[in-house]
Amino acid sequence: MNKICFHFQISQPYRLRTYRFFDINQDHHYFDEYQNQYLTKRLAERCYLPANRMLLEIIRQNPDSFRCSFSISGSSIMLFKNYCPEVIESFKELVATGCVEITGSTYTHSIASLHGESAFMEQVRLQEELLMETFGVKPVSFCNTEIIYSDEIGEWLGNAGYRVILTEGARHILGWKSPTYLYCNPYQTDVRLLLRSYQLCDDITLRFADQSWDQYPLTAEKYMRFLENVNTESDTPLINLFWDYETIGEHYTADTGIFDFFKSLVTALIKHESYSFITPSEAIDLDLSPATMHAPWPISCSGEEKDTNEWIGNELQQEAFRQLFKLEPLYQKSDNVEAKLSWLRLQAADHFNFMSSKWFGHRFVKRNFEVYSSPYQAFINYMNVLNDVKLQLESKQNE
Amino acid sequence: MFGWEFPPHISGGLGTACYGLTKGLAINGVNVTFVMPKASGDEDTSYVKIVNGSDVEVDLQSSDFFQRTGQTSYIQVNSKLIPYVGLDDYYNVINQIESGVFEKSTSEKRKYIFSGKYGPNLMQEVNQYANIAAEIAKNEDFDLIHAHDWLTYRAGIAAKRASGKPLVVHIHATEFDRSGENYNDIVYGMEKEGMMASDAVCAVSDLTRNIVINKYGIPAEKVFTLHNAVEPNEKKVERQKFVSEKIVTFLGRVTFQKGPDYFVETAKRVLDKDPNVRFVLAGDGDMMPHIIERVAELGIADRFHFTGFLRGDDINKMFGMSDVYVMPSISEPFGISPLEAMRAHVPVVISKQSGVSEVLTHAIKVDFWDIDATADAIYGLLHYPALSKLFAEEGAAEVDNLKWEYVAKKLVKIYEKTLHYE
Repeated sequence: MNKICFHFQISQPYRLRTYRFFDINQDHHYFDEYQNQYLTKRLAERCYLPANRMLLEIIRQNPDSFRCSFSISGSSIMLFKNYCPEVIESFKELVATGCVEITGSTYTHSIASLHGESAFMEQVRLQEELLMETFGVKPVSFCNTEIIYSDEIGEWLGNAGYRVILTEGARHILGWKSPTYLYCNPYQTDVRLLLRSYQLCDDITLRFADQSWDQYPLTAEKYMRFLENVNTESDTPLINLFWDYETIGEHYTADTGIFDFFKSLVTALIKHESYSFITPSEAIDLDLSPATMHAPWPISCSGEEKDTNEWIGNELQQEAFRQLFKLEPLYQKSDNVEAKLSWLRLQAADHFNFMSSKWFGHRFVKRNFEVYSSPYQAFINYMNVLNDVKLQLESKQNE
Repeated sequence: MFGWEFPPHISGGLGTACYGLTKGLAINGVNVTFVMPKASGDEDTSYVKIVNGSDVEVDLQSSDFFQRTGQTSYIQVNSKLIPYVGLDDYYNVINQIESGVFEKSTSEKRKYIFSGKYGPNLMQEVNQYANIAAEIAKNEDFDLIHAHDWLTYRAGIAAKRASGKPLVVHIHATEFDRSGENYNDIVYGMEKEGMMASDAVCAVSDLTRNIVINKYGIPAEKVFTLHNAVEPNEKKVERQKFVSEKIVTFLGRVTFQKGPDYFVETAKRVLDKDPNVRFVLAGDGDMMPHIIERVAELGIADRFHFTGFLRGDDINKMFGMSDVYVMPSISEPFGISPLEAMRAHVPVVISKQSGVSEVLTHAIKVDFWDIDATADAIYGLLHYPALSKLFAEEGAAEVDNLKWEYVAKKLVKIYEKTLHYE
C-alpha cells in the first residue's frame, strides 16, 4: 500500500515599505500596510478560500480516506487575522474535520535555523503559542522554512518533542536511495523524516501550465501514471508531496484548471486501492524501520542545488544575516514589543530572497524583481530598517 | 568612417566610442579609414598594425592628407566643425574663439547670433565637409560608409552618392536628448535626412532606437541597437584619498541634459543626515552659475566641491578618490562614464533614463527625478560596506565583459546585412 502525504505551506511575509535612510531614528513603520493588505486579500480570494472550500468538500465526501496537512507561518496567521479573518475561520473548519493536521513551523518564515539553536527555538516556541491560541493544537510534526533541514536542526526539534520532520529528498544527500523510504535523524532516531519527492511536486509547480513540456497538458490520469512509475522496492512507499498552497489559484489561476486537476487527482487516489492518504504525524505509527539519513549541511527545497544559497549565498545576504543575528542579545534584553516583533519579521526568508544574486542575469525569474529593481536596492532598504530596529531595541521603551 | 573627434582630444564620450569601435573593428578584421575635421597628430594609433603599400591617392584641395598607419587611417579636414552639440554651443564656441573673451550667452544673444553672422557659416562648413567627403569617396577603396552623428551625415550622404556604397549612420545622441522638446529644426532635419538616406541606423541604446523610430519615423527594421563598451584600463586606477570623508562624484558636462541640479539636491539630503561626506562636481557647462548659486543657497558649500573640466589622468585620479559615482542624467542616449567608474572599482548610481542602464546589472538604477531614492542609494553604498565591496568586484567583472571587440562583432553583422552578404 502506497502512502500519500499531502502538505501545503503558507508563508506570507510582512513586506517592507520603501524605508529611506532619513527615516532611521525618525519613523518606525517598516511594513507596507497597503501591499500587505492587498496581497493577503487577493490571495484569500484567489487561493485560500476557494481551495479550502474544495478540500472541505472532498473531506465531506470522503471523511475516512482523505488526509492532508498545512504549515501556516505565524506572519500569515497574523495577516489573516488583520485583513481577512474569514480565512482563519475556514482553516478552523478544516481542522475540526480531524482530517487536516497543522504542523509546526517558524513564526515568521524565519531562516533562524541557519544561525543557531536559541534564535530558532524562539521562533518555534512563539509559533507553538500562536497555534495553540488560534487552532488549539500542539504540533508533533514540523515543517521548517523552505523545508530547511540538517542533522543539527533535527536534533534541536527532537529535543523540543517533535517526532516527524518534513524535508527535501535532496539527491546529493540520498545518492541512490529513494525519498519514498522512511528515514530518521542519526542522533535522535525517534525523529522520523519525510522526504519530498520533488520531481513529482515540480511536475505541478513548475510545469503545470508549461506548453513546451512534452507532458502538457497535465491531467489527473497522467499524474497517476507518474505515481505508478515511482521507482521503489519498499512494501509501503511513502510519496510525500509538499507544495506552496498558492500553487492552487495564485501561481496557477482558476482558469488553468488547477482546481479541477487537484479535485480529480484526489478522487482518483481515493478510488485507487493501492493508495491511502496519511498526515505527517500518522507516520509515527507506521510499522516501518527507518533508515538513518545524514545531512551534515543544511538542505532545502531551493533550485537544483537544494542548498541555502538562495538566502545566504552572496555577500550582501551574508552581511545582512550577520548584522541581523548580531541583535539577538538586544532582542533578549529589550522590552520594546514592537521592535522585537519587527526583528523577528526581518528574519523572513523572503527578504533574503530579494537580495539573491542567484538569478542575476536571469530576468525571467520575475519574483526577485517585482518589489525591488535589484538585489542592491533590496539590501539597502533592508539594512535601513535593520538599523532602526537596532536603535529601537537599544532604546528603553517604545514611545 | 566619418567622425569628429578622437582621443586624446575629446570633449566627451563620442571620441572614446569612435576609438573603441575602430579598435574593435580592427580586431574583427575590418579596415577603417577614419575621417575627422580636426586631427592634431597625436591621436592614439598604438594598436594599429602598419600595412605597407596602402598608399591611397587623396587629392583634396581643402583637406590635407594627414595620417595613414595600417588598418585605421586618419584624414584631417580643414574645418571649423567641432564636436558637441547643437547649434547654440557651436555659436558659443565660435564666439569665444573670435572674440577671445568668454561671452555669457543669453537667449537674446543667441538669437542674434543665430540670425546673423554664424548661422550660414556652420551650414557652410557642414557642406564643405560633405564636398570633401565626396572627394575622398572617389579616391578611396572601401565597401561601406559609416557616419557618426549629425554633423557628418551630409558627408556620409555625399560619400554615398559619389561612390554608390551603402551608408550606415550612427546615432550617439539625438537632438531630443540635447535640447528636449525645444529642438532645433535644422539639426533635426539633418539628422532625419541622414537616417532616411542611410541603409542602416545604429542607435546606442534601445532608448535611442525608440526615439529614432518614433520621433524620426525611421522604419524599425533598419534601426539596430548597438550598445557602447569600454576599453580596459591600461594601468590600474590607484585608490588614493586625501581626505577622511567619503567622496561622491558627478562627472560630466554641467548641462540640463546631465541633471547636475538633481545631484545638488541629493547632496543636501545626504548631508542633512551625514555631514561626513564630500560631494564633487567635475565638469563644466552652461548650468555652472546656477549650480554654484544653489549650492550656496543650500548652505552646503563646505562639503560641495567643483573641479572644472577634467581629462585623462585627472579623471582616473578622481575615480581613485571616489566612493560613489552618480549619473543623474535626464536623458542619456548611452553614457559611457559609469562604465569607466565601474572599471575603476567605484560603485555607480545611474538614472533609469540612460541607455547604459540597459546593459548593466551591477549598478543601482533610479529615476533621475527621485532624489530620495538617489540619496538612499548613496547612503547605502557609503554605510553598508558589504554592498560597495560586492559592487566593486561584480561591477568591474561586468564591465570587463563589455568589450568593444564584441560590439564591433555585432557591427560587422550589421555591415554584412547591409551589404547583403548573408
